[in-house]
Amino acid sequence: MTGRQPSATAQYALDRLRGRALPKNHDARTISALAANPGCARRALMDAAGVDKQRVAAQAGFPAPFGQSRFAIVRGNAFEAQVKENGAAQLLMLLRDLLGLDVSEVGYADFNDVGGNSSAEVRHRHTRHVLTAPDQPGRTLLDHPLLRLKVGGRLAYLEPDLIALRLDGTFHVIEIKSFAVIDGQADPGKVAAAAIQSAVYVRALRDLVTEAGGDPAAVSHATILVAPRDFSSQPTAASLDVRRQLGVLDRQLSRIASIEDLLAQYPDTLTFDLDPDAQGRPRRPAAELTAAVGQVPANYAPECLATCELCFLCRDEAAGTTGALGKPVREDLGGIEYIAQARSLARGQVPAPEQAEIAAQLLRAAQLREQLLAEAVEPK
Amino acid sequence: MAETIEALERRIDELRVAVREAVLAGDRTLAGQRRSALRSAERAWEDALDQAAPDQTETPEQAEAPEQTETSAPDEPSGRAGSLLPLREQVYGALSLLQVPAAPKLIATVHEAFFGATFPTTRVTSLKRDEERSFRTAPFARPYYICAALSADYLAPSRGLLAVSTWPLELRMIGSLSPRVDFLTAAIRVAEAIERIPEPPAAARRLLERFAASVSGAISPGRGADPAAVSEAARAELAVHRDADTRVRRAAAERARGLHHAEQLFGTFAFRDRAGDGADARDGADAQDGADAAGRAAGK
Repeated sequence: MTGRQPSATAQYALDRLRGRALPKNHDARTISALAANPGCARRALMDAAGVDKQRVAAQAGFPAPFGQSRFAIVRGNAFEAQVKENGAAQLLMLLRDLLGLDVSEVGYADFNDVGGNSSAEVRHRHTRHVLTAPDQPGRTLLDHPLLRLKVGGRLAYLEPDLIALRLDGTFHVIEIKSFAVIDGQADPGKVAAAAIQSAVYVRALRDLVTEAGGDPAAVSHATILVAPRDFSSQPTAASLDVRRQLGVLDRQLSRIASIEDLLAQYPDTLTFDLDPDAQGRPRRPAAELTAAVGQVPANYAPECLATCELCFLCRDEAAGTTGALGKPVREDLGGIEYIAQARSLARGQVPAPEQAEIAAQLLRAAQLREQLLAEAVEPK
Repeated sequence: MAETIEALERRIDELRVAVREAVLAGDRTLAGQRRSALRSAERAWEDALDQAAPDQTETPEQAEAPEQTETSAPDEPSGRAGSLLPLREQVYGALSLLQVPAAPKLIATVHEAFFGATFPTTRVTSLKRDEERSFRTAPFARPYYICAALSADYLAPSRGLLAVSTWPLELRMIGSLSPRVDFLTAAIRVAEAIERIPEPPAAARRLLERFAASVSGAISPGRGADPAAVSEAARAELAVHRDADTRVRRAAAERARGLHHAEQLFGTFAFRDRAGDGADARDGADAQDGADAAGRAAGK
């Protein structure tokens, strides 16, 4: 499943796609982005190969000012530090309310370094040792444990904000986010992103527990989201059920593992190599690179702008298609690929037989619109 | 100490006048000289006060440090919010009030609440480095050092916590329950300090409210944060954790006693440079490994 390695030939093909560049390792963000748009072959292929999409996009002439804003990072870190300060005092109170955490459960273990050593390998070993130990004396909150997930045969290190551990031995992943929850409501897009990110951690944690011979059910699918309440910096917490996200994630991860099928659809000559010179500066002509990227179909949706480095390239490519207007529009106009086509159908062009139904709807919609506009012009 | 506290106080007053005159006269060199004379007089006053106080000298460090020699590094006063004391003494003041290891942010907040001056926390971080350097060059030359709290498992410096070298060793050990125990203890100390002041400053009350918000049952409806209620609620929860925490801390302190003095104060870095190979050995046997390190360090 998630641990499965692509075959040697597939690995060879992936290395060829990446060309002369070091593979980019996944992190929680990229893994969750992967699950956010499962229909995109372009992203699936490039991520499996570990292609540096940012550089490819820049060289192709569509640099994306991508990555989290510096201010968002500072704000996020400050909020996280506030929630965790003094032995996570604020968080403990929240968990006592939300999970009914017992007063005796206050243990706090710091995994940011191990005896002054902060290398990923050592931290991961320490995390594994502690999480799979038979008894968990006084360890309720684990701060920044380091988990690992195998994606397409390569290890990605993942760092959840916190893992809470209850007396009954169930792990709960806690994700601390700095977007506000106003009146019990938060931006659904951001909550969805947090949920899928938490699902990535749950998956990694379950893999760890399973590897140690434990029961994966010991990791709860109910994760906890901590975010500022209203317009204050006071934290509030909510439970997030990530079962659906886990399903999507598992499908996507197994798809990477079975990348052979996808690879087989493209010629052996396809590569996203940037042809770097001695200083590592890319030299490959933009047109040629764009053509190479264009061979693999993308599934552009406006949401990509928030998650994918190639978004501007794909948007440019998708200009004029119904998909560029968003998933709901594309679904409503099933079978019609281009906006221009939809417009001419609405104007009364004779449709192809398979488009008859949607054409009638479009015609009717156009008539209604005309009628309303006419009424608006000369009110009775 | 050469001068009595009273004599020092007179001299500090005289020096302040002298500094003012020099500044008003526009003589920068003279003002600088007088300022530094003022600072050393203030330091001497602090030291004299330390010695005069009925001190609890439980650790050997205090006994081995009879006199303060001339300090060099951190004697810049915190000019921003008005305190003329060197940073280390401000930190010492706040930590002495709390009596538990604390993070720079809490130290700065406590100092602001009770001593009326604040300082940027970034400077506190470099303070520990200065203190360690000073200790390694001339051990026990100062009556106290701002030092590290040690993680109970590896006796390595606990991230971001500062403590005072003269405290009992087990107070500086941080087990998994210790952050909560120390937080509750700090809440009690802050509440007690507020009760001692006839009219506590607003900043101190705010600090108490922040503590109260994170202690179950500390806020009685309609009355806000009452010092007595906060300390009672904190004591109640403290009773739940204290025994288990004390056991861990004592055991860790026992191991730490085998370390060199510098490592006792600033933590061992036995694992720091052995990224790969140290991990396996450590995975299985936390306690034994630490004990071995302690034994080696003590030269047994």
